[in-house]
Amino acid sequence: MNSPEYPPELARLPPGRHGLPREFVARNQRERLIAGLAEAVAENGYAGTTIAHITRHAAVSRRTFYEHFGSKDECFVAAYDTVMAELRRRVDQAFNEEDEWPQAVRAGIAAMLEFLTAEPHLARLSMVEALVAGPVVIERYDAAIQGLVPYFEAGRKGRSAKVLAGLSPSTEEALVGGMVSLISRRIFADRTEELESLLPDLVEFALTPYLGSAEAAQVAKSA
Amino acid sequence: MRSRFPVKVPARFNLIEKMVCLSLVPKRYPVPGPTRSPDLGTLPFVAPKSTTRPLPGQHQLSREFIAQHQRARIVNALALEVSEKGYRAVTVADIVKRAGIARNTFYENFGSKEECFLAAQQFAMSAALSRVVEAAGEIDEWPLRVEAGLAAFLRYVAEEPALARTCMVDALAAAPSSVRFYEESLQAFVSLFRLGRDVSPHGQELPETLEEALIGGVFWILYQRLVAAEPRGIEELLPELVEFALTPYLGAEAARAVADEGGAASATAASNE
Repeated sequence: MNSPEYPPELARLPPGRHGLPREFVARNQRERLIAGLAEAVAENGYAGTTIAHITRHAAVSRRTFYEHFGSKDECFVAAYDTVMAELRRRVDQAFNEEDEWPQAVRAGIAAMLEFLTAEPHLARLSMVEALVAGPVVIERYDAAIQGLVPYFEAGRKGRSAKVLAGLSPSTEEALVGGMVSLISRRIFADRTEELESLLPDLVEFALTPYLGSAEAAQVAKSA
Repeated sequence: MRSRFPVKVPARFNLIEKMVCLSLVPKRYPVPGPTRSPDLGTLPFVAPKSTTRPLPGQHQLSREFIAQHQRARIVNALALEVSEKGYRAVTVADIVKRAGIARNTFYENFGSKEECFLAAQQFAMSAALSRVVEAAGEIDEWPLRVEAGLAAFLRYVAEEPALARTCMVDALAAAPSSVRFYEESLQAFVSLFRLGRDVSPHGQELPETLEEALIGGVFWILYQRLVAAEPRGIEELLPELVEFALTPYLGAEAARAVADEGGAASATAASNE
């Protein structure tokens, strides 16, 4: 029996019960649906994507879709969370590999730009399509941006009283908002190839309130 | 790359940019004492018969204006609906109900929700910018000009949160025409901030994307307050936003001095009225 629910690599197995844990198959289907949504949205935009598009890309049935998700919006949320988890993982890893905070910031920003450049469809999904995918996603989007604040708050540690006096409660929010704005606008305009060239400016902008412009510029230009 | 702000504004600037920049070209800095430009009774670049002339006492007129003018009324209703439900969920039925008009009336004024939303954006941005120009246009010193302009902008956002939201929150979630308009609006503010390079001791070394980032940062802070529906806290943000915006050009101390002085300056202005 040819069941469309089974991944191609299992198609060779004899029909009937495979003894595969239900959870494995379910997880696999869910992942395929998420990947299917990402492909469908890349092709059609969020508004133009239908559940039929998604299930076709995922090679699962409509019924299977509804076993995992109640709606297109819900499937999108899962896709969004998946992309953001991956992005977060890479940024975190790059940031934590450095001993000094300024270099850690540079590494984190570089990792983000690298990912968005390498995966322009996912970049678009998470920063453009996300805005039209319903209120749940927008909340996640806003929270993701705010989630960057701690990386910069860490820069306050050990600063002189003078430097700290130049910071305000909203400094990190403003920095994060500014950086995301630069990145987002280029993704909106489909100019992801320009993202990596933003690195020096972004680093200088982010570090200046803590290090002063001269030192910030130096870190920004370092290889 | 140093950009020298020209006295003659290039034709390629859109209407918003012209409005913002023409009246804000610095005469000289620093200025020995406050000098008033000749009182022309209107902004110098706007011809007396122009329809883009800002209305006097605009924020007081706006309620009457809305009551009397249908198009503005529809736009206002859309802004309220969108701020409550989000752009996607709002229907023309919602808008006409909120505005208290017939469906036909909506379609006499606008072809679609998208068109209506764009009109709301344009209305809001033009209203905000005329306040900015009105507040900042007569001030020679660039830092004080930024301070006054920001104060006026924040006041608009606090007084008209639904309309401000159309420009700053919902625009990116709406149609492509709205995204394009959002881009144009940002550009206008970028031009205003770029003037700071001429008065900064190290204007030439500043990163090229600085203005974009500063505006993005200010917008993000305001966006969050709007989304959380806390418009009353917005005007209190003025000193920290002024400091944030001016520091890259003038250094932290000078920026802070302007931000701290701001309270005194607006108190004086208020007592002179």
